Amino acid sequence: MAAFTVYATPKATDVGYMPSQPIPFSHKIHVDQLGLDCRYCHSFVDQSDHSNLPSANTCWNCHQHVKRDSPKLEPLHRAMDPNHPLYDGKPIEWVKIHKAPDYVKFSHSAHVNRGVSCVSCHGQVDQMEVVYHAKPHSMGFCLDCHRNPENEVRPLEEVFNLKYDPAEYLKKHVVLNDKGDRITDPKEFGKKLTDVFQLQPRESCATCHH
Amino acid sequence: MSKRIWQHPEIPAEETTVSWRSVGQLEGSNEFRQWLDREFPASAAAMKDEADAETSRRSFLKLMGASSALAGLSMVACRRAEKYTVPYTQAPEWVIPGKALYYASAMPRATGATPVVVTTFEGRPTKVAPNTLHPDSDGTDAFVQASVLDMYSPSRSQKVLHHGKVASRAELEKALAEAAASGKLGFVFGADESPTRTRLSKELAAKYAGAKFYSYEALAPAATAVRTVADFAKADRIIAFDCDFASLDLQGPVTPFFDRRKPEGKGYKGKRDVNAMNRLYAVESIFSLTGGMADHRLRVEPSKVFAVAAAVARKLNVSHPLVASAPAVSDEKTQAWVDAAAEDLLASKGKSLALAGSRTAPALKAVVQAINETLAAIGSTLHVLQSDNAGFGTLADLKADLDSAAVEYVFLLTPANPAFDAPADLDFVTSLHKAKASFHLGLRTDATAHAATWHIPAAHYLESWSDARSAKGLHTLIQPMILPLYDECVSELELLSALLEGKLTTGEESSAFAAVRKTFGGDNAAWKKALREGFVTSATSAKGTLAEVKADAVSYQQASVESLDVIFATDGSIFDGRWIDNAWLQESPDPISKLTWDNAALVAPKTAKALGIYDQVIALEDPRAASPVDGEAGNRRAPIIKVSLAGKEIEIPVLIAFGLAENTIVLPVGYGQGYDAEDELNRGPLNATHVGLVGVNRGVNVFPLRTAATSYLAQGAKVALTDKRYSVALTQEHHAMYGRALAREISTLKGDKGSFDKQYDGVAKQGNDSHAPENISLYKQEGSSTWDPDKNGNAKPNLSDELHQWAMNIDLSSCMGCNACLVACQAENNIPVVGKEQVAKGRAMHWIRMDRYFAQNPSTPIAQRWCHSLWLVCSAKALLAKPFAQSMQRFTPKTVSTRWPTTDALELAIARTTAPTRLVVSTISTTTSAIRWWLTTFTKDLLVSNKWARLRTFSATRTSRCVCAV
Repeated sequence: MAAFTVYATPKATDVGYMPSQPIPFSHKIHVDQLGLDCRYCHSFVDQSDHSNLPSANTCWNCHQHVKRDSPKLEPLHRAMDPNHPLYDGKPIEWVKIHKAPDYVKFSHSAHVNRGVSCVSCHGQVDQMEVVYHAKPHSMGFCLDCHRNPENEVRPLEEVFNLKYDPAEYLKKHVVLNDKGDRITDPKEFGKKLTDVFQLQPRESCATCHH
Repeated sequence: MSKRIWQHPEIPAEETTVSWRSVGQLEGSNEFRQWLDREFPASAAAMKDEADAETSRRSFLKLMGASSALAGLSMVACRRAEKYTVPYTQAPEWVIPGKALYYASAMPRATGATPVVVTTFEGRPTKVAPNTLHPDSDGTDAFVQASVLDMYSPSRSQKVLHHGKVASRAELEKALAEAAASGKLGFVFGADESPTRTRLSKELAAKYAGAKFYSYEALAPAATAVRTVADFAKADRIIAFDCDFASLDLQGPVTPFFDRRKPEGKGYKGKRDVNAMNRLYAVESIFSLTGGMADHRLRVEPSKVFAVAAAVARKLNVSHPLVASAPAVSDEKTQAWVDAAAEDLLASKGKSLALAGSRTAPALKAVVQAINETLAAIGSTLHVLQSDNAGFGTLADLKADLDSAAVEYVFLLTPANPAFDAPADLDFVTSLHKAKASFHLGLRTDATAHAATWHIPAAHYLESWSDARSAKGLHTLIQPMILPLYDECVSELELLSALLEGKLTTGEESSAFAAVRKTFGGDNAAWKKALREGFVTSATSAKGTLAEVKADAVSYQQASVESLDVIFATDGSIFDGRWIDNAWLQESPDPISKLTWDNAALVAPKTAKALGIYDQVIALEDPRAASPVDGEAGNRRAPIIKVSLAGKEIEIPVLIAFGLAENTIVLPVGYGQGYDAEDELNRGPLNATHVGLVGVNRGVNVFPLRTAATSYLAQGAKVALTDKRYSVALTQEHHAMYGRALAREISTLKGDKGSFDKQYDGVAKQGNDSHAPENISLYKQEGSSTWDPDKNGNAKPNLSDELHQWAMNIDLSSCMGCNACLVACQAENNIPVVGKEQVAKGRAMHWIRMDRYFAQNPSTPIAQRWCHSLWLVCSAKALLAKPFAQSMQRFTPKTVSTRWPTTDALELAIARTTAPTRLVVSTISTTTSAIRWWLTTFTKDLLVSNKWARLRTFSATRTSRCVCAV
């Protein structure tokens, strides 16, 4: 009972956790306004279990030219700009928001390569000025999707499009079902994709706890 | 506490081969019965009190030091932030966070470097595996597997020491300059070979006329102009004299030996050909892993091995003065064995091979060399290579040079620990103190570090640029995976370069890189290719010519209970003592005795009876008696004996060992390097600073008995029982039958017990399983007729997924029980060590366990006891993977062998083995008590219904010495 109380409450799931970061990086500006792909910064999300944070040189690619003198970028200058008075070359310490416990194995690449979008677990990050913990990440949250993947799965080219709308997608693209009829129902489309991707998400304990 | 106590019906006499795992089982001791009856020993139930709990927690943290550092928990140097995510500033090339990067490298060793592929995560090495690209790839053993833990060991040396006190790098460099100014330098290398080191030592010899070079490792023979390498691929018949060539006394890559033990050859790829299999004759006194693999094993006292070798030589008409003067073999059975072996060897002339242990007497080596000449083995099954270490002196030479002041400054670069492991009569330390200054380079602050003027913390091989020669002399590169964890670490090549260049450069600017690169020469493309693959084929040791072994005639006295033969044995866990601080190796049970965390004298049962020890070990109590104080688990105590040899005495706990020669006592070396105030036998504080938290209070030092003349075999020891006892953590009786026949056996002899297939079908119903009710699984995937039956009311197939199933099969033709897989599994999965007390209580956490079964052939007279043994291994996780197929991939060794013993293989095994008439077929057991019972169901299914055939099996992509995932 105690375990239930701890692990099923928002306190444990961290929903709403919105720490301030060393650099007030706005996803809204970078993704929504400028149109950067998630993978420009989180470059190994489709290759590794971990979704990496960008190394400082990724930020510096642009910011050695753009908004170079913004005081908000001081930590970046410290890490990357040898001419800066406070330069020490040490990495930026971003505050961790999402953390899977040690006893959970979660693979980003396995999910994004099978049609599960960032938005399914992280929410509308493209609209966030400051990133916060949007979804609960409880075991029940994982199981909901593992039991009904058709609700979340989307075409692979739309995985990093956080504004994806299946109804709109089906209007633009002709997708046929097994009978040869055009699919218009997002739910049916989800089932079709689940079938095409051969998704068999498992529910046994050792799927994630091993 | 008892979970289930099954009262088995007695097995009728002569029903099966007598097989047992320990003296306790053989004698049905009360202690063993308790292990049998209870899945958990009583003392495992609870900590006695708060203090006990606190002690356990403390010692757990102590022992776990290196493992936690490996996991990145404890060390500031590579701590993973708990609250922050810290990406790189400049992303390093190739690194993908969370993905492994692999580099080829090698671990330098006296018997030839082991080529490895190192797994690194974010620049941190975590695991080594064999480099199968390398032509000399020979798998890895437990020592190689455990070596990665040494790098992270908290007790690793971190600071420069001057007379045992912390000193600065600048002071050290000043001392090095003084040494260079003197020019009378002595360099003591290990017995390994390194092309760059050889080149630098030549340059040193040119620069310093007074430079002298030595080679020393406690258990390696003196450096000679040539060395021999056995070619097992060509050897049809092999005879080994006290030579554990498969495990602790390597004579050349041994994988080809195991390839020749499969009727279909390497990888079971060829056509079945019984005649293509090799045959091994072993003459030995210790029961070694090699002896366990032998087709014909002759158990004789160590002092008689020479006579047996001479008898073989005589039968082969070898003309050698030592053969003529050797005593005859008096006993008829031995003579018959010798005659048969000699005939067989001669019939395969040119394809047969004789091997002598590398530490045995020169006389034996001379005779064996003469046998090889007669058998035309040299150049065919035995290659002769020039050694890089030709001309290097011995430790005795160094002593003489120190005494005569020919050497004023000495550099101890050997991985050995001469202040501890040099022959006792050499009195090396006294001479070492005559040097103006001595410099010890080492990973540990051991006895030599304290005896030397200066101690320099060594860079681990995973942190260094270097090169080495593999078993067959290939130039093999060693590259760093990470900068040395501590700034003051220096590698051997950096130190040599410093004496050449006058400047010590380590770390990122390491002078060793330039030195290794210069030795390699060639263009950058060739260099990059060599680095990627880890070796250079063009630079191999040149062929040499074997010189005659100089040996005087030897005469041994007859060993008896009053005058025992003593063998100073290489330890299966810590080798010569260098790995005393490695918790993975300390906790891995000795391959034969299954002792952890300590050493103990080993004595054969009959001799033990004559010495009065046997009854002390086996307290033959009434099995119905209440639990004796001195019986169970954590309370197990071994009697301590006093061994007297040539005026010296030691006290050491004793164990009964099967397969060992009579009138012989085996003393494993390397233990007893330091004790603190908590020592069980109150030996401390004594040299406590010489060891770390893992190695302190471990075992008994037997080196004081060992002299230069008796470095392997001594005669005339006397043994007396004392009234003291010492706790020993043995795993052999753990996880015993628990009411099930874990070792199942059937006969392949025709007409004995019906057809093989019929017996095979009944194998699941042996022992207690013949009357125990069927196990019912908690898991519906298990398949049961009572839980979720199919439409006919029968159990559903065992498989939850027809496509993905994981299984781990052990190739019993290759497995010799060497512990490599056990340690590899520990490294791969970061399995905790639990410490001696907890192991004794049955709480060892190894996922892989190896049981040793001893069997006695009923048709053979007791006097000639055939011990053939079997190692049965199981990964609990590999089996656990069954219902959870896909996700378990990470845990299941990626390379498993694919052989299940088939009728054919068994018949062949029988065909080439004369003595045992029955073989134990197979066993799978598990480590974790809690899940054992339902796994057993799976085991049965595997055996009974051939369902294993439906399991997907995997070919061994990384072949190793025992062809499992090592």
